Amino acid sequence: MYYVGLDLGSSYTKGVLVDQDNTVCDRLALKTGYDFKSVSQQIIDHFSRGHAIEYPIYTCGYGREQVDIPFTAMSEIIALARAVYDYYPQKTEVIDIGGQDTKYIRISDTGIVEKFKLNRKCAAGTGAFLEEIAFRLNVPPEKFNEFALQSTQATEINSFCTVFAVSEIIGLIKEGAPLPDIVLGIYRSIIKRCEEMAPLQNTLVVTGGIPEYHPMIVSLFKKLWPATENPAHSQFLAAYGCVLLHRGSTGED
Amino acid sequence: MPDKPLIRKLKAAETLRQVMGDYYQRLKNAQDSGEQRVAWCSSVGPAELLYAMDFEVYFPENHAAMIGASKKANQYIPVSVANGYSPDICSYLTSDIGAFLKGETPLKKMGLDSVPRPDILVYNTNQCREVVDWFKFYADHFKVPIVGINTPLNLGEVSPGTVKYISDQYRQLVPVLETVSGRKFVPERFKAAVGLSRDACELWKEVLETAVHRPAPINFFDASIHMGPIVVMRGTSYALEYYQLLLSELKERLKDGVGAVAKEQFRIYWEGMPLWYNLSLLAKLFARLDACVVASTYCNSWIFDDLDPDHPFESSALAYTKLFIVRSDSVKQQLLAEHLDRFSIDGIIYHDAKTCPRNTNNQHGLQVRLHDLTGVPYLEISGDLNDSRCFSREQGIIAIETFLQQIAMDK
Repeated sequence: MYYVGLDLGSSYTKGVLVDQDNTVCDRLALKTGYDFKSVSQQIIDHFSRGHAIEYPIYTCGYGREQVDIPFTAMSEIIALARAVYDYYPQKTEVIDIGGQDTKYIRISDTGIVEKFKLNRKCAAGTGAFLEEIAFRLNVPPEKFNEFALQSTQATEINSFCTVFAVSEIIGLIKEGAPLPDIVLGIYRSIIKRCEEMAPLQNTLVVTGGIPEYHPMIVSLFKKLWPATENPAHSQFLAAYGCVLLHRGSTGED
Repeated sequence: MPDKPLIRKLKAAETLRQVMGDYYQRLKNAQDSGEQRVAWCSSVGPAELLYAMDFEVYFPENHAAMIGASKKANQYIPVSVANGYSPDICSYLTSDIGAFLKGETPLKKMGLDSVPRPDILVYNTNQCREVVDWFKFYADHFKVPIVGINTPLNLGEVSPGTVKYISDQYRQLVPVLETVSGRKFVPERFKAAVGLSRDACELWKEVLETAVHRPAPINFFDASIHMGPIVVMRGTSYALEYYQLLLSELKERLKDGVGAVAKEQFRIYWEGMPLWYNLSLLAKLFARLDACVVASTYCNSWIFDDLDPDHPFESSALAYTKLFIVRSDSVKQQLLAEHLDRFSIDGIIYHDAKTCPRNTNNQHGLQVRLHDLTGVPYLEISGDLNDSRCFSREQGIIAIETFLQQIAMDK
């Protein structure tokens, strides 16, 4: 039998297929769109080819209860912490940058969530922020990282608000700032928003879709805080944590 | 078989509806008959003095909370904003004035066409200074006097000098109130009103203190509604009679081991204002998570047990200056630590109300210091009392769910 964990996020739905030994055998991320039920079904259909799936599946994220298949829902923060602790069984702090939310989690040396925090009202510093700016600059967001690597001097972006950040960027363009410097400035503004979440003290684990697709963000974190880790496929960690929470780390039910 | 209800409604709620309906009816009668004058009063203003001088007393803050609970604030706030009030200031003010400008009020349900016309507006700035701007709008509109008491803020100890400063201001109100009401000030009546207020406060305190027991027979969401009489009828026998009834029901519950929620596994403290527009959503959420919000700063703020009928002016000055919101952060921290201990709290939730910094206590590091002192975990939620645009429902729900799981992990 195989277990499925789904993290139904605001931008993407991430699924993992896990075997009896808790090994991830497959993973799939699809754009969530407006229909949580359909996107989760597509992932289940994909995993079902050649694998017998155990129900209920384990879900987290905004759409955690919006699926048509038998499920057990939980908090994506607890799930993410569980998976991070599986990778790093020690005191850690997590910064997860997703489509709408930035999360901070402090995990104890025994795996307990000691403290967590979500970004404040505005989405500045999240994936939605990058998408809006990419749209305004008419640059595909997947090109951002490439541009940032060419920068010689980052620009400074101060605004709290996504809309005002865009006006600020327009001002920078008027002043003749090169695109790579603007893009690096945008990445640095994301780091600044994360710095506000809590004073870092332990190993920092950076996770989520945004650092995964924009590895420059991880490099910037490492400059700020050398004890930074970024596990592979980190955007799937919460989905994986859902399964772990219900199965235990050795794979027993 | 139907599921057992997660929330157990208080039987007294029916009487409460009647008591509040009668209260508004008295205001309507005063206005219609012209036999009594109407004073508008801030929520922790000098209600006893006004009742003692035969005013019917109307509280705009209660009205604004009703607007919030009716989920209509977001229709009214833009009207105020269009008329020069910032969306960043008190959303009680902006929703109340907006409703007035639109000619609407939740009081229509109680048979009032509009808010009762004031003959005078009386404030105390102990709660906040914004209330003066709020009242000033109506004083200008109705061309009636506005008077009040200015209370110093951020107090450590409440010194005799401060008490004198406030009680002098109380006394100075008397001649103005005599002129407007057409009644002579009778010291015995003021003493009696202060006595009734003190007795009602004692009962309200007893009501809230029932929640020290497990399971708590009343929670924050009940108390936010059942506090109506202690806010608007302090100084009358109506408040006293209502809390006698409520208390006896709660004592029954204690005897029978009946809790406010079906299963009380976690005990939460609520710091800050209610989110009026989501009161029932949150009540259900906590109940579903086997959690009871057993105590709050907000509901506890209407306990004025320093009131003393033998010294009505001085004791009013003391009681209305000693309240939580007037005090320094170190006093607040100490009071909160006592609450956390007495109510056996597992976690504290700070509501960071965007438009009410005065009732928000996680903006100057108090939450971190209190955590260092007590080790009680905390959660901060961004929202607002009336402006629901400031609250992300989805984010709020996941934060509360996660917080309770965090507490469970540690238990």
